Amino acid sequence: MASEAVAHASDHHAPPPNVDANVVAKELIASTTNASARFKTIVWILGILGIIGIVSLILKWIDQGDDSTKWGYVASLVSFLLAVCGGAPMVAMAPVMAKANWVRPITRLAAMFSFGSLVTIIMLIPLVALLPPLVYEGTRRRSIWFEAPDYAPHIWSVIGLLLLFITGLMLFYSAAIPDFASMRDHSTGWRQRWGKRLARGWVGTDIQWRTLRMRIGMFGTFYFLILVFVTFLISTDYGQSVIPGSRDAIYPMSLTISSFQGGVAAIVIALYFSRKWMNLEKFVHLDAFWSLSRLLFALTLLWVYFFYSSFIVFWYGRSANDIATLDLLIRGPMVYAFIAGAILIWFIPWWILIWNRVRRGTTAMVVGAFIILIGLMLDRIRYFVSAWSVPQDQIHQKWLKVIPETYFPNVYDILIIIGGISLAAMLIMLVTRVIPVLSVWQVQEFNLLAKPIRYVRGHATLVAKPD
Amino acid sequence: MTTSILGLFQQPEPAADAMDGLKEAGFELGTFDVLTGTPYPEGAFGEHVPQHRLFRFPAFGAIIGFTLSIFLTAATQLAYPMVTGGKPILSIFAMLIIMYEMTMLAGVIATVIGIIFESRLPNLKPGVYDTRITEGWIGVVITFDDESKVADAENVLNKAGALEIKHA
Amino acid sequence: MQQRRELDQVYTNRKLLNGQLDTPKWWAPTVAILGIAVILGLFVIATMINKGLGVTGLARPVYWGLFITTFVFWVGISHAGIMISAILRLTQAEWRRPVTRAAELLTVFSLLTALVFPLIHAGRPWRIAYWILPYDFARGIYPNIRSPLIMDPVAISTYLTGSTLFLYVALLPDLGNLRDRTTGWKNAMYTVLALGWRGNPRQWKMQTVGGILLSALMLPIFVSVHSIVSWDFAVASAVEGWHSTIFAPYFVIGAVHSGVSAVVTMMALMRWLWGWDDFIRPEHFDALARLLIVVATGWLGFTFLELIFALYGQDAPEIALREMQILTWPWNLLFIIFLLTGYLIPVPMWLFKRVRTNIALMFWTSILVNIGMWLERFLIIVPGLARRTPFVYTWEAYRPSAVEWTILVWSFAWVTFLMLLFSRFFPLVPLFEQKESQVFTDDVMIGRAKVPAIVREAE
Repeated sequence: MASEAVAHASDHHAPPPNVDANVVAKELIASTTNASARFKTIVWILGILGIIGIVSLILKWIDQGDDSTKWGYVASLVSFLLAVCGGAPMVAMAPVMAKANWVRPITRLAAMFSFGSLVTIIMLIPLVALLPPLVYEGTRRRSIWFEAPDYAPHIWSVIGLLLLFITGLMLFYSAAIPDFASMRDHSTGWRQRWGKRLARGWVGTDIQWRTLRMRIGMFGTFYFLILVFVTFLISTDYGQSVIPGSRDAIYPMSLTISSFQGGVAAIVIALYFSRKWMNLEKFVHLDAFWSLSRLLFALTLLWVYFFYSSFIVFWYGRSANDIATLDLLIRGPMVYAFIAGAILIWFIPWWILIWNRVRRGTTAMVVGAFIILIGLMLDRIRYFVSAWSVPQDQIHQKWLKVIPETYFPNVYDILIIIGGISLAAMLIMLVTRVIPVLSVWQVQEFNLLAKPIRYVRGHATLVAKPD
Repeated sequence: MTTSILGLFQQPEPAADAMDGLKEAGFELGTFDVLTGTPYPEGAFGEHVPQHRLFRFPAFGAIIGFTLSIFLTAATQLAYPMVTGGKPILSIFAMLIIMYEMTMLAGVIATVIGIIFESRLPNLKPGVYDTRITEGWIGVVITFDDESKVADAENVLNKAGALEIKHA
Repeated sequence: MQQRRELDQVYTNRKLLNGQLDTPKWWAPTVAILGIAVILGLFVIATMINKGLGVTGLARPVYWGLFITTFVFWVGISHAGIMISAILRLTQAEWRRPVTRAAELLTVFSLLTALVFPLIHAGRPWRIAYWILPYDFARGIYPNIRSPLIMDPVAISTYLTGSTLFLYVALLPDLGNLRDRTTGWKNAMYTVLALGWRGNPRQWKMQTVGGILLSALMLPIFVSVHSIVSWDFAVASAVEGWHSTIFAPYFVIGAVHSGVSAVVTMMALMRWLWGWDDFIRPEHFDALARLLIVVATGWLGFTFLELIFALYGQDAPEIALREMQILTWPWNLLFIIFLLTGYLIPVPMWLFKRVRTNIALMFWTSILVNIGMWLERFLIIVPGLARRTPFVYTWEAYRPSAVEWTILVWSFAWVTFLMLLFSRFFPLVPLFEQKESQVFTDDVMIGRAKVPAIVREAE
C-alpha cells in the first residue's frame, strides 16, 4: 500500500492520464494469452483442491448420507458461495445503474463471478436430497410453503439457483459481446474462432449498442430480483425452517446485505491481484478502490445493524421461542464462532476501513476484504451448522426444547469447504483466459467519458454524464 | 499595524494571474488569500491549500460522549436498581443503544464546533471585503505587516487586471 | 441528467432570496390563517390536557391510536432530510443541490412536531420529566434505560440536535450572502448569524469536508432513530403483530419512502409559490421519482417479508390478526387504500418519464404515498391492539374522536406554519450550492454530441 498511497498523495491533484483506445484493446486482449507461471501454478493447485473437494463431497454422501445433522458445513458453504459468487455481479450492476463512471472498467470482473455459482449448484445437490421433509409424522414444520405442496421446497431452490446461474451468465455474455468481437478481430487461434462465434456479427452499429445497453439493464434487474429471491429461499428453507420455533423475518435481508458485502470484498481481492499480476494499473485507477472501499464500509455497518435489529427483538422478547433461538444460534455451542465472526465481519474491517488513508491505498483494503470473507464464512457456519444440528424428530416442535450438541467438522467437511471455494476461484480464473478480465469497451468508454482537465490553475477530471 | 487591500475581479483567470503575480513578487504564502461567493475546485487559483484537523474533532467528541454515556447508563441503573422484564440491572444490550446515541451526538456537536473553529469563525474583525463577492466577483486580499509593500501589491493587482482595489 | 443552464449569480441571488428581500404577497395572509389554525389547535390540546385523555377515543385495549400513529408518521417524514442531504452528498449526486436545504428543514420541523405527540399522549406532559431526565426528583427514582420509551426521546433529541446544527452550518455561506444584501436590523441579525463569513478557500474547504463528515455521522443516527421507534413496538412480545425482527429496517425504509415523497410535495410547492422554475426543474423531479421507485419497491419487499413471516410461524393468534387486518371490515378497506396509495398507483405511474417530469402529477402522487404511509402505521398499531386477546375483560372498537382528528390536522398546519416562517428569514434553496453547480458543471463535445459533464476534484 505504502508506495502507491504515497505516490498518490504527493501527486494529489493530477488525475491519472487516459489511455489510448488502441492500447486498451491490444494490451487487454494480450492479457488473455500471456499467463504467468504463477498463474498456471495457482490454477493447477486450485483445480486439484477442487477435485479433492468434489470427491470428498461424494464420499461424505456415501458415508453420512443418512444423517442430515452432519451436513451443516456443506449448507454453510452453499450459503457462502451464494453470497460471494452471487453477490459480486450485483455489486457491479448497482453503480452502473447510478451511472458511476469508476465502475465501468470492473464490471466484467464482477460478472465473471457468476461462473462460480456453478459450484453453489453442485454443493446444493446432496442438501436437496438430505433436507428433512416439511411434513413429518403428520405434523408440519414452519415453512414458507404453507400447505407443503409436492416437491416443495426442494425443487424451487434448485430452479432458483439455476435461474440465478443462467441469468448471471446472460448478464456476463450480453456485456461481453463487443469484447468477443475484439477477440475476433485482434487475437488468434481458438480464441479468435470462439470470439467470432460468440460475437454474433457484432460490428458496433448504433442499434447494436442500444440493444446492448437495454439487455444489460434488463438482465441486471432480473439478476437482482432473482438473487434476493434465491437468498430468501436458501436462508429460509435450508436455515430458518430447520430450527424449530425460529421466526426471524429480517434474516433473508441480512443475508442479502452480507452477500453484497461478500461480493464487494471478493471484487476487491480479485481486482487487487489481477491489477498487480496482469499489469492493469493504468486501466483501473485507485479511485475504483476508493469507491469500493466506501461501499464496503457502508455494507460492513449495515451488517451489524441488521444483526442488532434482529438480536434485540429476541433479547427483549424472552418468549420460549426467542430464548431457544438465541441459545441455539448465539449463546449456545456456537458462541465462539459467533464472536469471531462478528469481530472479523464487522469490528476489524470497520476499524480498518474508517481511515481515509487506508481507503486511498490497496494493501490494507485487501487485508480487510480477506478478513471480511473469513468472517462471513464463520458467520454462515455459526448459523447453518447450528440449524442443521437439530435432529429430524425435533424439527417440528413449536420451539426447541433441548439445544443439540454442535457438530464439529470432519476431514470431509474441511476438504469440501476448501475444495468448493478453490473450484469456484479456479473457474473464475479460467474465464480470464477466454476474455479479458477488464471489459475492453468499458475501459474505452471510461476513458472517453472522463477527461483530466486544468481548472484555471487546479487539476480536476471532467466526467461526462450521458443520458 | 496590519492593513489589507482587496483587488476585485470578475473572472477566475485574472484572479489566478494576480495570485501567481503575488507569489512571484515574493509575498509569503498565507499573507494573501482569495475570496469567492461559491466553492471552486481546490487549487483553482493556485492558492495555498489549507491544512486542517477537522477529523480529530468527531473522534474526541465521540470518546467524550461514549465515556459520559457509560457513566450515565450505568449510574442511573445502579442508583435505582429495579428489575424490569427479568433483565439484568446492567443490561448491556439496552445500554448500548443509549451509549450509541450519546456517542454520536457528542461526535456531531464536536464536528460542528470543529467546522466553525477550523473555518476560523467567528471572525469578529473580518477586514476588507466587498458585497459583490457574493454576486460572483472574486476578491484577492493581501495582508501586510509592512506598509511599504502596499504599492507592490497594488501593482500586481493592476497588472492582472483588477477592476477595483479597496483599502482597509 | 441535469441540463446545463447558465445562470447569472446576481439573478440567482435575486430569485432565491425573494422570500427574504421582497416577500411575496401571499405570504402574510397565509401565515396569518395558519397562525390562527395553530392557535386553535393549541387550544384543543390545552383542553385535552385539562379534561384528560377521556376526550379521545382511546380505550381498552387500544391505548395507542391516532397520536402514536401520527408520531410515527412525522418521525418518518423527518427521514427525508438526511436521506436526501447526506446520501446524495456522499454519492456526489449533482441533482441534490436545490433539494438539500428544504429536506433538512423538513427533518427539523417534522421532528419538532413528532415530539409533541408522545408528550400530549402522556396525559400529563410535565410528568414526562420524571421518567426521562436522569435527575433525582423524588425518592431516588431514576429513568429505566432498558425501556424503549427512554431510548426514543434520547434518539430523537440526538437527531433533532444534529440536524439543527447541520442545517445551521450549511446555512453559513448563505447568511453571509444575506448580510451583503440587507440593511438595518436585518443586516445586524445576519452579520451576527454569519459569524464573519468571507468565503476564503479555508472556509469553503470546511464546508465541503465538514458537509461530508457530518453527512457520514448523521446517516447512522438517521437509521437508528426510526429503528428505535420501531422497537417501541417490536420488543413487546405480548402484541403478536409487533414482535417481529424486521421492524427496524422496515420502518426505516418506509420512512424514507414517505420522507422523500414529502420532499417531492414540498419542492412542487416551492416551485409554484416562489416561482423557482429555473432552479427546481423537471429533471429534479425525475431523479427523485427514480429514487422513489427503488425505495418504494424495497419497501414493498419488506412489507411482503413482514407478512409472510407473520404467517410462516403458523401461530393461531398471528393468523387471526392478519385476517382481521386484511380481510375484516373496516380494516380491509383501509388495507386496500394503503396498498393502492402506498405503491400500486404511484409507482407504476412513475415508470413513465412523462409522469416523472410532470410536476402536478408528481405533487399528487407524492401526497398519495403519504396517505398510504400514514395508513400503514395506523394498520400496524391499531389492529394489533384491537384484536381480542385472552385476558382482555373489556373491549371496545377504537373510534378516533374529533379532538384527535383536530390535533392531527393541527400538526400539518404547524409544520407548514414553521416552514413559512423560516422562509421569511432564510433561503429555502442553498444559494451557494446552486452557484457551485454552475462552477462544477460543463459541457463536453464527444464527436458531435454535446454531453453535460461534472468537474470532479481528485480524491
